[in-house]
This record gives sequence, C-alpha cells and structure tokens, in this order.
Amino acid sequence: MVCGKGVEGIDILLTLLYLFIFPGFLFLFAFSLFTEYLDRKIYARMQRRVGPPFLQPFADLVKLAAKEDVVPEKAEHFMFTAAPIIGLAAIFAAYLYLPIVSSTGLHSFNGDLVVVLYLLTIPTLALFLGGWYSGNVFGQKGGMRVASLLFSYEIPFFLALLTPALIEGSWKMADIVHFEISHPLEFIVSLLGFVIALIALQGKLERLPFDIPEAETEIVAGPLVEYSGRRLALFRLARDAEMVVGAGLLAVVFLAGPEPIVQLEPVYLSWIVGALVFLVKTLFVIFLLILMKSAVARIRTDQMISFAYKWLIPLALVQIFIAIMVRFLGGI
Amino acid sequence: MFKGLVKWARVKSPWILHMNCGSCNGCDIEILAALIPRLDVERFGVLLKGTPRHADVLVCTGPVTKQMKERLKRVYDQMPEPKFVVVVGQCGSSGGIYQGAYGVEGGIDTVIPVNAYIPGCPPRPDAIADGLIKLLASIDKGGKP
Ligand code: SF4
Repeated sequence: MVCGKGVEGIDILLTLLYLFIFPGFLFLFAFSLFTEYLDRKIYARMQRRVGPPFLQPFADLVKLAAKEDVVPEKAEHFMFTAAPIIGLAAIFAAYLYLPIVSSTGLHSFNGDLVVVLYLLTIPTLALFLGGWYSGNVFGQKGGMRVASLLFSYEIPFFLALLTPALIEGSWKMADIVHFEISHPLEFIVSLLGFVIALIALQGKLERLPFDIPEAETEIVAGPLVEYSGRRLALFRLARDAEMVVGAGLLAVVFLAGPEPIVQLEPVYLSWIVGALVFLVKTLFVIFLLILMKSAVARIRTDQMISFAYKWLIPLALVQIFIAIMVRFLGGI
Repeated sequence: MFKGLVKWARVKSPWILHMNCGSCNGCDIEILAALIPRLDVERFGVLLKGTPRHADVLVCTGPVTKQMKERLKRVYDQMPEPKFVVVVGQCGSSGGIYQGAYGVEGGIDTVIPVNAYIPGCPPRPDAIADGLIKLLASIDKGGKP
C-alpha cells in the first residue's frame, strides 16, 4: 500500500488519488504529451528549426479524436479497434508498478521488475496485430517488420535490465532502488548495461535509427497506414506513454528512481520531493533518447539484427558476467 | 466550449498529404522546398504524412489527367472528414497551359471540391506556406471557407 498508517477512509482516498491523478493516469497523460513536445522541439532545434508550439501534441490529439471514424472494409473490425486499446492499457498498467513517489510503487512485490518488462512488450504485439488486421499490404509488411525485429532488441533489453537485479539479488524494484542508493558504485559497474538498455529501448520505441517498421520513405507508415481518427490518437498516445514508462524504468533500475528520499513530515512533502527527483532522472534518460534520434539515420533490417546479435547481446552477456563476478567476489 | 477546442485543434494541427495529379513536377519540387527547415512549417503544426488516412489537407498539383481522375477521387474519399483541399500552381487551378490537351480533364476543381488556390507557375515556397496559413485562418474564422 502507498501509505502505511492512517484511517481507512483516507487510505482509500489517497489510493484513488494516486491511481487517477498524481502520479496516476492524468499525470502520465500530461507527461506523455510533454515528452512528445520535448522530442519534437529538441529534434527541431538540432536541425536549426523553431519547432512546434508547446500545445502541439495536445492539439494533434484533440484533432484526431474529433475526426471521422473510419474502419476500412478489409480490416478485421474487432482486432483493429482492440489493438490500440490493449497497447495503451498495458502501458498504463506497467506505469503503476514504477516506484515514483517513494521506493515502493502502488504495489510492490518480488518480481515486479519482470512484470513491468512483460507489460512493456505488449504494445509492440498490439502494433503488430493492428498492422496485420488492417488489411493493407503496407500495414501487414510493417507488422511483419515489427514482429521480426522484436527479438533483436528485446533480448539485450531484458539482459541489461537484469544486471542490477543480479548484483542486488532481488527481483523487486524497491530493493534495487534501496541497494543502489546505499552503494553508489553500482552505477559504474552497470554503466555498460545502462548504455545497452538505452539503445535497446530506442529500438523498442521504434525511433531512429530503428524506425524500420515505420519507415515512411519505404512503407508509408507501416502498421499505422490504415489507422485514422481516435484509434490513431490512441496509438500515438501509447507510443508517448511507452517512452515515459521505458525511460522511467531505466531511471528506476539504473539511476535509483525517486531516491534519495528525504524524510519529511507530513508524508506528502517527501512524496513530492521523490516525484521531482524521479522526474529529473526520467527527463535525463528521455533527453539521451532524443539526442540519439537526432544524431543518426535509419539502418536496414538486416543491419539492425546483425548489430543486435553481434554487439548488443554479447555485450549484455559481458555485463552479466561482470555482475556475477562482482557478486561472487563479495559485492561492492 | 468543446466545439471551440476542436476548432482550435483543427487549425493548429493540419497534416498534409501531397499528391501529384499530372503536374510537370515543378510545383512538387516547390512544395518540398516549402517543407525545408528554413521555412519550418512545423511551427504551425504542419506535418507531411504519407497516407490519406492521417491527412487533413490534400495538397494537389497539376492538371488532372484522365488516368489520374479516378485515383484522385479515391484518395480524396479515403481521407476522413473534415478534409480540405489546396491546389498549388496554375495548372491545378484551371488546367493552365495544358487546357484542352487530349489527355487532360482540367483543373482539380472539376473532380473534387477545392478550398484554396495558390497561383503561380510554380508558386514560390513561401507563397505555398502562406496559402496554407491563409486557409487555416479562414477555417478559424468560420467553419468551411
Ligand atoms: S503550374 Fe507550372 S510548374 Fe506547376 S505543374 Fe503547371 S506547368 Fe508545372
């Protein structure tokens, strides 16, 4: 539970507040839109452009939501509609497990790291299904690319994120965060893992240089070709939210998330400080992702797969070896 | 209030789809030049999209050839409402120098309804950007222009 003590009624109220407003869904919604703004703005600034205005992502979202609702004749109506909702729901669910205000999230248990990793895979599958059932060749082609690239980044991503868990010896994010704050050296030991996870996350989000499934110069818009109106809006929102949650996950696992927690009275104040620390770390990770996007161009499918299997996975294994050695030799 | 919000969003985020209906390619190059970092139309929320399903504004060039007529109609029908059409260049507006040629149908407005014309052969990139902004301003003033 979020709050250990207190009257039952207040407990429920706080939980609801946590779920829906801060740092729950409403906050994630706003933060995702802000992330998209940052993404586009910094990208534009790096090309010496002015870039979109602050409310641009919000305007895009409202406009798409208010457009005509088109389901192509050839598309499978049910899956076509369900795919974006499934993707978004999985991300929102993953978000709840992230420790944001304090070292435990809404609910913390042994293995929550693995649960979040799995939940973060679902949007990719949703994108594949959406593309596949849209009944358009470009959509199916894009869907196939999504599915065939899945393993090239998923394996290094999982391996890299397991390093801190191995060093600490626990699958619980709260424990990892605690351990990290008492052993700052851990960051240096898992630095390689952080870099690998960053690159793999870029692939997971299908951003440059790994935007092969989207490839607007080759296959128009990939799996999203037939999507329009509010379904497209949901997909876009899901992608932004995935970026926030992915960056937040890296911030938690490698950069110790909301810690160091300052114990303040009443407990709200320390929550706010924790959330601010978390935000700064997440924004740092997001900034790195944007820099990577602006600095590179798209690579081919085979290049990406060989890069992942020749470099990312071996390096991730090296990182795991280091982690095991460190643990074996008596820890940091 | 809700309507106002939607209208604001519509004006702030026009995604365009570029379509060549038989132009000499002069206008198309100028449209691409209007999208370069120098003019930076993303300031106004303009993004170039590859599929009619995402687009709000169809930017057409050139006289409609007989071959292209059906396809232009189809692309127009594939765009979700509300949609707007901008014609770039002399040929698209009236048929231009191709008027009366054996394979040519005429201007864009003989096939689909048009909201704005940008004259010139070809128009300058800044004129194209300006035409788009004027279209947005007229949407802002009152519904369909
Ligand atoms: S208006 Fe001029 S530049 Fe444009 S398509 Fe016609 S002839 Fe070519």
